Amino acid sequence: MADITVTMNGKQVGGPAGITILELAKQNGIDIPTLCYLEGLPPTGSCRVCVVEVEGSRTLVASCHTPISAGMIIQTHSPKVLEARRVIVELLLASHCGTCYMCEKANICELREVAVDLDVGVPRFPIRRRFYPIEDESPYITRDLSKCILCRKCIRACNEVAKKHVYAMGYRGFDSKVVVDFDEVLNKEVCRDCGICIPYCPTGALSNPQKSRKDKKGPPLVIKG
Amino acid sequence: MPEKRIVLKNCGVIDPRRIDTYLQQDGFKAWQKASAMTPEQVIAEVKASNLRGRGGAGFPCGLKWEGARNAPGAEKFVICNADEGEVGTFKDRYILQNDPFSLIEGLAIASHAVGARQAYIYLRGEYRFLLSQLRGAIRQAKEKGFLPHVDIEVREGSGAYICGEEMALMESIEGKRGEIRYKPPFPTTQGLWQMPTVINNVETLMNVAPIILNGAAWFNQIGTERSKGTKVLSVSGDVAKPGVYEIVLGTTLKELIVDLAGAKNIKLVQIGGATGRIVSASMLDTPLAFETMLSAGAITVFDETRDVIDIVHRTMEFLAEESCGKCSPCREGCGIIVNILERFIKGTATPKDITTLEQLSSAMMLTSLCGLGQAAPNSVVDSLKYFRSAYEERMKKVEVVAR
Repeated sequence: MADITVTMNGKQVGGPAGITILELAKQNGIDIPTLCYLEGLPPTGSCRVCVVEVEGSRTLVASCHTPISAGMIIQTHSPKVLEARRVIVELLLASHCGTCYMCEKANICELREVAVDLDVGVPRFPIRRRFYPIEDESPYITRDLSKCILCRKCIRACNEVAKKHVYAMGYRGFDSKVVVDFDEVLNKEVCRDCGICIPYCPTGALSNPQKSRKDKKGPPLVIKG
Repeated sequence: MPEKRIVLKNCGVIDPRRIDTYLQQDGFKAWQKASAMTPEQVIAEVKASNLRGRGGAGFPCGLKWEGARNAPGAEKFVICNADEGEVGTFKDRYILQNDPFSLIEGLAIASHAVGARQAYIYLRGEYRFLLSQLRGAIRQAKEKGFLPHVDIEVREGSGAYICGEEMALMESIEGKRGEIRYKPPFPTTQGLWQMPTVINNVETLMNVAPIILNGAAWFNQIGTERSKGTKVLSVSGDVAKPGVYEIVLGTTLKELIVDLAGAKNIKLVQIGGATGRIVSASMLDTPLAFETMLSAGAITVFDETRDVIDIVHRTMEFLAEESCGKCSPCREGCGIIVNILERFIKGTATPKDITTLEQLSSAMMLTSLCGLGQAAPNSVVDSLKYFRSAYEERMKKVEVVAR
């Protein structure tokens, strides 16, 4: 494939035709934050955190699904881009349940990581949260959709990696939700012994079922001082 | 400038249930002329006419056809977008109700030019009452032998606003959830079932037959330098004579809503429905053309008795309801704009809320995946520009007490 040369952050870089801006940035050591991008799987372009500025484009473009073309002038970290990313992360945080201190994934949460990188604190927007009951019927996966940021990684992981097609999108707009069957609770009848989606989830929406205290082996340890 | 009828010339003249009345009005003459031409000649003629898409974006129709014609693909499709979901538009319904044959003729010519063997008319779910008449018109055209090269199928929508967007419409035809796909690839290279697809508005296809029949030079005489032809507009709201008007592009807004429709005491005009721009009464001399502010064919007039924030709030409520929920700025942002506007309605807003509205609107316009999210804050941005005092009046009153 013929190489295409583009200008990224003022530097001439080249890459094979057909790769996306995000892939080119990765190859050149430029870190663009993402939430819905999955390497090797087709992009969805739903989170919009990976937007970059391309000269001549009316809007910012999402780098995860925009292929490079010759002569593109790309800015990955201009003030405009950073501000847009901040607004998006704040929007996601405004509807996120915000119980980080008791979340299993608190320290490996991609949303938190991106928020910290972008210097986002408390969102400037009115908080409007989604609250859904925790689904812990399945012995393999615990779902807490209040923490879901609708990145659709679990859907793609289930469809493309596990080929099981358990999840799908349901409802519309703010009420949209990752559903199982006709919006049933995830139980062991629908989804069995796989759990491939758990590591894909950027937040704590999907997690390993925690063992309750009585299941832990051994007598309780009492330290005497 | 008075009305000029090109698209609507047969409306009210022919019987939409009988093809022979249409044939008396030079019906399918353009198709006979086009079928004698090569597809390339047809495309060249449409390109020369500078016909721009009437769905709102104003993309040159000829370029779209040429793109799909030249794109590699085992099969090609032509879709007529009759999912007229925009708030305050009813022009396509009027056209379909009164003259379905011109549309079929336009589709036949487009299919010939693009090389499609299958064409779809995506009919808005609420327009189900037009279904039998439309199917009857297709059947009659087929019986008369005017559709030897193409099958036209009518698909019904289910009432989702987003399915008027071309990519969501294609997903809907494919039987999937009505959601946006990212671009590129554009529909002309990978559209319906990943095949090259041309998608045109009803009104665009209505213009095709007159162009082929009378020639591109004739069409170029009408309109402004960059917008040729006429535009069918649905005028509604506080006007004496609401209805469908066909005007030459470049006619001013005043000529349309004051002289033709009879509006009085205008406060603001919303051009292009929910995602359209808002203009104040001082801008009525703006010509209506694609280079200024024309989008979908809705003109909604509001008089002095209406409240700006109520209008914007209602518009945003609608968009929050109709957002597909795929990309985060639109899914979360529309609802948050509604919440902030509610503060203005309740009188609890602070100056900070105006700044937040501006920041959020500009980010949504820059980052959203599709046209809905990008255009959703239009009414907020424009009302903040022209009616800022309305927002300031509604802010929380802080009483300063003298000590």
